[in-house]
Amino acid sequence: MVTGQTFVGLLPEIVVFLFSITVLMVGVFFPRTTGLTTGLAACGTLATFVVTVVLLAVRFEGNFFGNGYVVDDFALYFKLIVAVSAFFAVLAAARWSGETGDAPEYLNLILSVALGGMLLVSMRDLFGIFVAVELATIPSYAMVAFDRSRRESSEGGMKYLLTGMIASSILLYGIVLIYGAGGSANLGDLGQTFSGQLSPVALLGLVLLISGFAFKVSAAPFHFWTPDAYQGAPTSAAAFLSVAPKAAIFATLLRIFLEGMREAATTWTVVLAVLAIMTMFVGNLLALRQRNVRRMLAYSSVAHSGYILAAFAALQGAGLQTAIQAVLIYSAAYLTMNMGAFLVIDLVGEEAKSYNGLFTTRPGVALSMFVFMAALVGIPPLSGFWGKAWIILAGVQSGSILVYVTVGALVVNSVLSVPYYFGIIRNMFFEEPVTGAEEPKGLGAAKFSVYALAVATTLFIFFIGPLAALVGASGLL
Amino acid sequence: MITTITIFLPLVGVLLMFLLRSADERTVRYTALGVAAAPLLLSLYVYFVHGSDLRGAPLLTQSFEWVSSLGIGYRVGLDGLGFGMFFLSALLTLIAVVASWDIRENLRQYFAILFVAEIGMLGVFAAQDLILFYVFFEITLIPMYLLVGVWGDENRRRAATRFFIYTFLGSTTMLAGFLALGILSGPEFSVVTLTEAGGTLSRAAQVAIAVPILLGLLIKVPAVPFHSWLLDVYVSSPTSTNVVLSGILPKLGTYGLIKIAVPLLPQGVEPFLPYVAIFGVINIIYGAFVAFMQPDLKALVAYSSIGTLGFILLGISSGNALGLNGAVMQQVTHGLYSALLFILVGIIAARAGTRRIDELGGLAARMPWAGGLLVLGALAAMGVPGLAVFVSEFMSIMGGFETFPVQGVLAALGIVLGAVYLLHMVRRVAFGPIERPALQEAGDAGPIEMAAIVPLATLLVVLGVFPSLIVSVQRPAVEAVLAAIGGS
Repeated sequence: MVTGQTFVGLLPEIVVFLFSITVLMVGVFFPRTTGLTTGLAACGTLATFVVTVVLLAVRFEGNFFGNGYVVDDFALYFKLIVAVSAFFAVLAAARWSGETGDAPEYLNLILSVALGGMLLVSMRDLFGIFVAVELATIPSYAMVAFDRSRRESSEGGMKYLLTGMIASSILLYGIVLIYGAGGSANLGDLGQTFSGQLSPVALLGLVLLISGFAFKVSAAPFHFWTPDAYQGAPTSAAAFLSVAPKAAIFATLLRIFLEGMREAATTWTVVLAVLAIMTMFVGNLLALRQRNVRRMLAYSSVAHSGYILAAFAALQGAGLQTAIQAVLIYSAAYLTMNMGAFLVIDLVGEEAKSYNGLFTTRPGVALSMFVFMAALVGIPPLSGFWGKAWIILAGVQSGSILVYVTVGALVVNSVLSVPYYFGIIRNMFFEEPVTGAEEPKGLGAAKFSVYALAVATTLFIFFIGPLAALVGASGLL
Repeated sequence: MITTITIFLPLVGVLLMFLLRSADERTVRYTALGVAAAPLLLSLYVYFVHGSDLRGAPLLTQSFEWVSSLGIGYRVGLDGLGFGMFFLSALLTLIAVVASWDIRENLRQYFAILFVAEIGMLGVFAAQDLILFYVFFEITLIPMYLLVGVWGDENRRRAATRFFIYTFLGSTTMLAGFLALGILSGPEFSVVTLTEAGGTLSRAAQVAIAVPILLGLLIKVPAVPFHSWLLDVYVSSPTSTNVVLSGILPKLGTYGLIKIAVPLLPQGVEPFLPYVAIFGVINIIYGAFVAFMQPDLKALVAYSSIGTLGFILLGISSGNALGLNGAVMQQVTHGLYSALLFILVGIIAARAGTRRIDELGGLAARMPWAGGLLVLGALAAMGVPGLAVFVSEFMSIMGGFETFPVQGVLAALGIVLGAVYLLHMVRRVAFGPIERPALQEAGDAGPIEMAAIVPLATLLVVLGVFPSLIVSVQRPAVEAVLAAIGGS
């Protein structure tokens, strides 16, 4: 039954949807007003952010549409992450999309992905989840292929589209099998049905479901589209797509596992632990060989998916609460550091050499990039450290040998990742500047984003307490 | 509250260095000097007002729960174990600012980074929470990496990278141990609470946790098989970085042993103590032999500095009051003497244009003050009675001898070996004919240079004559450690 409550619960989505339509319409009726459309899109994400914060502050909670759509602290938290990353993506897109003259369409795509991600984290029904996943990914194919001036863009977009389609069908197949075995697509009902051993059909469905999602979060061995897609995509798209949809998918995975298959934890934690170990090693080992910063960051995002999956493996025993906290903290931390690192590419360049001597020529940008790189390694007190520390904490609490191994792999991988992140720092601080490296004009918005994210990465330590308390009250436990 | 203020005061310096965009070099230097003096004055205040009873002073401790579900908190406080190093961190940062005459480029950035490092150093010695300890521990790492990598000599890039990878490997291992320790004993991360609980875990669990923690700390020290990264770093660094690098950073490792590993995991560390003592002896003897073979004055001082860290390890492993007191004090005295020697090397090398020992000579004739203080520093390094290092080394050896006689005797032998290479160095460098023409015109150390070395030399003498000035502060805390491990 649709009541006023329903509309309040859907308010963030409604706001972002209205703004995405408005941006498109303004583009049609007033062409050549990039400033206006960008401003509108930025306002849209900010308004969404504010609405979500208000809902969180008044502790709004509710179940809608026959228990298929839920608004709780957990969902609202991830909506915040999506809204914030959309905000920075819009700012980063400002200059580039203005030059190509396609600003309204591009901004509309960003807002559509955001809408999909925000719906996704609230879905409590497997088919609803599938629809939301598609809503988040279909515009993202277009985003990756949007830069018509570069061949890599359409190449990356094509690869992303093909693999994404396959992933979607695998995911759908998995959903259907689980639906068949469980008799319902609702996570609450499934939780009742799967209260013991999984039947073979359900197990197959689970494996297919995880594989489908593994494609979407670029976990190894389903990661191969990532470097090409991120290299081809406009920087703002790569930055946004590596954070927002990924965080939303991790959130929905958490919901599926904890609400729908809590009792089968012994099965899926094993699968996820193996996936996590593989993903961490593949991402880091391949990143070590990259000279192109964009590709390096793409592989680094693979590795970070592995770290978050390690937290999923720890979702058992006494580690449950800490592991949920770990996913939440890591998602926010990842937003700050990874988005920042991607946006710096727009300011400096994608060749590792273009970072040489940045510390003397542009100390502000160099310090920001330094903060992002150190955070991605996991140096305290920067944001990335807290994510990793929480995963280790959860792993120790879980009391399972396999999780100990996974956490050990995480420690090893953190050290393994030092050379490529610090390669950039080395170039920026220790090498002589390249001559004639003029700072491009018109990057005010992107620069603001980079600085803001650098500050957030540094001061992340102050969010830890509130974040941990928030999860304690989340509906998943 | 005082402790928190002291730890974060250098932040003011960082901000000021950003604001002084267009200031001339003089202003920058004096501002940095002023900022660096503040934590030192505050810690002197703490010493004179609360020194007799650090634990009983509520003003010094601060504690609030931060993540209550995991027992993690912001907890700081000063006790006898950490106060000496807390003071020394403030002092050596000030001295490093004074001794920064060889930094010409990017001076503001240099000081800003140095102040970030100071926050970490002060924080480590005041932290009373495992997570907080680790955070401060790591905050020192990046600034040191940058100080070496940006302002070091031509070999700096390699040195800085190796430094970072080794120590990051060590500290990450240590972190895993810390987290396991905190989770399994509660979860509880307060060092004070954990010390009072005194090893509630089973023996097997303690041993399993002690392994990564000991490994991480020994890499940080560094104990000899893990030391290969250090020499490059010492030799490549600018003088003022050396002051902090050799004076404070190794103590992060030894302090971690005394403050965390030994009292929190008494049964877990116990089986490893003989090996810690052996590591100490290896450091002493290996350091002496390798130092003897160095043609480079700075490398000699570097190996000497690595070598005498062994006395701290020996003292810690002893598990008795004498040895532990010696170890805690040796942390401070070692910092004083190695900082002094590194600055003198910088002064001499700048004048002579070389650091090769066989090309130097007759320094005392042209530079009576610098030469004289070099002799004093070398005597201190040898452990000559009357100077502070003697007291702490003697206590460490006696304590170590009581528990591990063989290691104690070998360590005493190490003192003799130390005398051999140090006297050899002094004879070559300070006396004899002047070999470098450049030295003919060299003047003695100037007022700024004297300002950097005289306080260190004075403290070496004063603490050598009145060791109780420092031992009295640390004794109650050492007794608390002994109570935790059930020793005497």
